[in-house]
Amino acid sequence: MIQFYLTALQMALCLAPMAMGIFITMKVFNIPDITTDGSYTLGAAITAIMLTGGLPVSLALPACMLSGALAGTCTGIIHTKLKIDALLSGILVMTALYSINLIILGRSNIPLINTASIFIKSDWLGSELNGQLLTALTFVGIILTLLIYLLRTDFGIAMRASGNNPVMTKALGVNNDSIRITGLAVSNSLTGLSGFLVAQYQGFTDINMGIGIVITGLGSVLVADAIKQWFNVKKIGRQIMLVVIGCAVFQAVLAFTLSIGIDPNLLKLITATFVLLIVALPRLTAFTKHK
Amino acid sequence: MLIINHISKIYNAGSDDEVRALQDVSVEVKKGEFLVVVGTNGSGKSTLLNLILGTILPTTGSVSIDGKTISHLPEYRRSPWVSMVFQNPANGTAPDLSIVENFRLAALRTGKKGLGIGNNKKFRQLVKEKVAALGMGLENKIDQSIGSLSGGQRQALTLLMGVMDKTSLLLMDEPTAALDPKSAKVVMELAEQINKEMGITIILITHSMKDALQYGDRLIMFDAGKIAKDLNKDAKQSLTITELLEWFA
Repeated sequence: MIQFYLTALQMALCLAPMAMGIFITMKVFNIPDITTDGSYTLGAAITAIMLTGGLPVSLALPACMLSGALAGTCTGIIHTKLKIDALLSGILVMTALYSINLIILGRSNIPLINTASIFIKSDWLGSELNGQLLTALTFVGIILTLLIYLLRTDFGIAMRASGNNPVMTKALGVNNDSIRITGLAVSNSLTGLSGFLVAQYQGFTDINMGIGIVITGLGSVLVADAIKQWFNVKKIGRQIMLVVIGCAVFQAVLAFTLSIGIDPNLLKLITATFVLLIVALPRLTAFTKHK
Repeated sequence: MLIINHISKIYNAGSDDEVRALQDVSVEVKKGEFLVVVGTNGSGKSTLLNLILGTILPTTGSVSIDGKTISHLPEYRRSPWVSMVFQNPANGTAPDLSIVENFRLAALRTGKKGLGIGNNKKFRQLVKEKVAALGMGLENKIDQSIGSLSGGQRQALTLLMGVMDKTSLLLMDEPTAALDPKSAKVVMELAEQINKEMGITIILITHSMKDALQYGDRLIMFDAGKIAKDLNKDAKQSLTITELLEWFA
């Protein structure tokens, strides 16, 4: 049973970079970005093709993050320079990426068996899963530290202010367009990283693995948002930490629904319902209070 | 310092709903001058401010500051010269960011927003000192989100933020319109202090006749997109509120 939830935690840690990316676009910049579905699979596809081609993990990792950043940059340019709605820009790039991912993969599914892997495979930590957890935890720790640092820098303050009040930042010499493009690039490079981690963890890359993944990230951010409001968390660094916790809670809820024997085919329906519940609950309670 | 050279702004040119917001306006503002601009709604005074700030571009004519023509530059590239205090205090601050973070960004108005941590001990001390001078007791709340403050407090902070970094010109578009009389007085006195002690040129748009008489050392009145009156310091001092109100009759 514990093993079952540890597996969920492992998945959560692999998806945490993506959730942090969504936090950046949605909460910092106020942009609803759904390039995610495409850039996640993009990361996984590049991982699959590089690792099966015998290339080292140390090359696959930057390749995944860079390609994710490129996808985000495309969305950003379409959104800011062509003044197209952010949601539509994301859909356009995501749709285009589906074909690109198919071209990269060459077929719809590539298994990763006996290929190089970022995860510690030996069981000197007791079990294979412990090694994997440790690797993923290290990754999340590094990303978390870097992001907290970034958001506290002068550039980070400009990023947050630009999402919060673009009228003000424009008058303060901030190029809102380029800072938004940078934000989308950072966010999607993190999503590419999640694709990299998940492909190796689950041992395959599938062309459809990204469908609806944005909801998982969104759900994690919303859970984090709820916790933030309960405990009145103000500091930006702590808010990002909450996103990782939100991601774990989200996966735990999914694991629980599966454990009570719900048909896996209903998983996306349950995911969507769960996200709807998180969004709707505060509004419903506010409604009853006003009455 | 600031030269407005034969500037016109025409909206919907050639169509039935053509609006001539500004018609061939020329004015020169000297360094250190505190210019007060009055006029009815739609007389063109806000249009002039927006042309200087860069939110709109002129139909014809040019704007130059310290000998450099800026009228073709986008707004974010004019920040080395121009700083703005908006009418709505909410426009000038990022509500979810703390006081000190807002000040950090303002201090970098003309500089690079780089990857270093500039919000350090030394900077926090500087902000505390600046904020303490307002006498609003905000120096111990610099980590509080700026959105949680009152409009008057936010506007006073916006004004301080406007001069955190070097600036030649401070534009103020009805900065006290949304404030109670007490806060309005704090903001206006702060503006006067900034003008006198730091020698920063100020252009103030106001609908308050009392403020127009009490503050500043030059008074311009706009009417139908043109400058109708231009009073120097002496002429402004001998002006009475009754005479001023007659301009609007």
